[in-house]
Amino acid sequence: MSYSTFSPSNHDATREPMFFGRPVNVARYDRQKYPIFEKLIEKQLSFFWRPEEVDLTNDRKDFMEMPEHEKHIFLSNLKYQTLLDSVQGRSPNVAFLPVVSLPELETWFETWAFSETIHSRSYTHIIRNIITEPAEVFDTIVTTPEIIQRAQTVTRLYDEFIHLVSIYSVQGAGVHQINGIRYDASLPALKKKLYLTLVSVNVLEAIRFYVSFACSFAFAERALMEGNAKIIKLIARDEALHLTGTQQMLNLIASGAEGAQFKQIAAECEEQVYAMFREAAEQEKAWAEYLFREGSMIGLNARILGDYVEYITNVRMKALGLRELFPPRQNPLPWMNGWLISDNVQVAPQEAEISSYLVGQIDNDVDSDDFDGFDL
Amino acid sequence: MSGIPRIKVNNYHTFFYQYEFSLLDALEAQEIPAPYNCRGGYCGCCKVRLLDGEVEYVQDGLVELQEDEILTCCCRPKTHIEIELPEG
Repeated sequence: MSYSTFSPSNHDATREPMFFGRPVNVARYDRQKYPIFEKLIEKQLSFFWRPEEVDLTNDRKDFMEMPEHEKHIFLSNLKYQTLLDSVQGRSPNVAFLPVVSLPELETWFETWAFSETIHSRSYTHIIRNIITEPAEVFDTIVTTPEIIQRAQTVTRLYDEFIHLVSIYSVQGAGVHQINGIRYDASLPALKKKLYLTLVSVNVLEAIRFYVSFACSFAFAERALMEGNAKIIKLIARDEALHLTGTQQMLNLIASGAEGAQFKQIAAECEEQVYAMFREAAEQEKAWAEYLFREGSMIGLNARILGDYVEYITNVRMKALGLRELFPPRQNPLPWMNGWLISDNVQVAPQEAEISSYLVGQIDNDVDSDDFDGFDL
Repeated sequence: MSGIPRIKVNNYHTFFYQYEFSLLDALEAQEIPAPYNCRGGYCGCCKVRLLDGEVEYVQDGLVELQEDEILTCCCRPKTHIEIELPEG
């Protein structure tokens, strides 16, 4: 079915599937098929923050005094995160909006991608504050082979899916020959590609960010680059929420709530899903080796970080109802938990409240006799 | 039920709830290594099995749960309860 920005059809969106049903007509949130996505939107909105709120003047001093190998660790992580969020700031919208059929899910994608653009802006804020010439960092992102190699794994499924959806949008569902090349844009093929793309996004937000997070927090544990760590903490909080979003979609599909065909596709993809998790974990472990090749930092080295990657991979796989890929172990970086707690995130000094303080805090339920005890 | 809810944890001890904010806080006060991450109800790390009893929610969980699963960061005991922490 070709995409329309506003379909005048009068259908009930709560009877549509998440994807590949009729395009969303009215953006209404009074009735929802999956209220969970509405909750995610509200949570994400309550998390709103701006990087400029965090002062980085001490970070500049810390950075200048760092030994070269630690500068390498710090900047390499920033580069990689910049790349990941460049992808995430646009791809959910481009890939999923043309095929989504539920208003709450549509808005979740938009809210999600928007928060990623704030992350991208934070990296510019950080780099501008600690380095005199930001171009030196930004220009080398696409020329570092270790980054580019992983970027290809991250973006491949997105690109293939977007490509296939364009064909589907113009030509309709089916197998098409275009310039002598055969494209399978039949619904089962599209659904399979969609499912795998969602898994790859889940892997990205569940595992790939965490090596960088660990390094940023390890610096801050030594009271270095603390402004940076505050920003990264806010980013980590957002990423954990996004992760819940893709986990929900994948679990809904696998449970059969989205139809028997989709459920079967999810079951058929299982081996590929394991392979994707394994590939990501191995790449991140290799990245840890690259980071520490010129020397490690206090409290962290490539091996511990590798153990942490295995630990976090197991945790994420369990959340999807998959069996664990690596031997079970305790969290090798227990201090990470202190940085990943959402409630301790303080956006601004006057906001030392629970992170969801914006939601449901106003009490409109005031009776006229509530003031009976007052005397002037 | 009357009186203070009692919390039984597999492989650990049984104790009385001291009216902490959440079940997770109660477990931590007893130095039971309960898993957690976000403490905001969305990461799902603090999921445990509720074997017996009832809990009430103090904040919204955003994670899909099976019938017998609860998020310790989001609830507190309403009656005597028995829970099972995940392995590992």
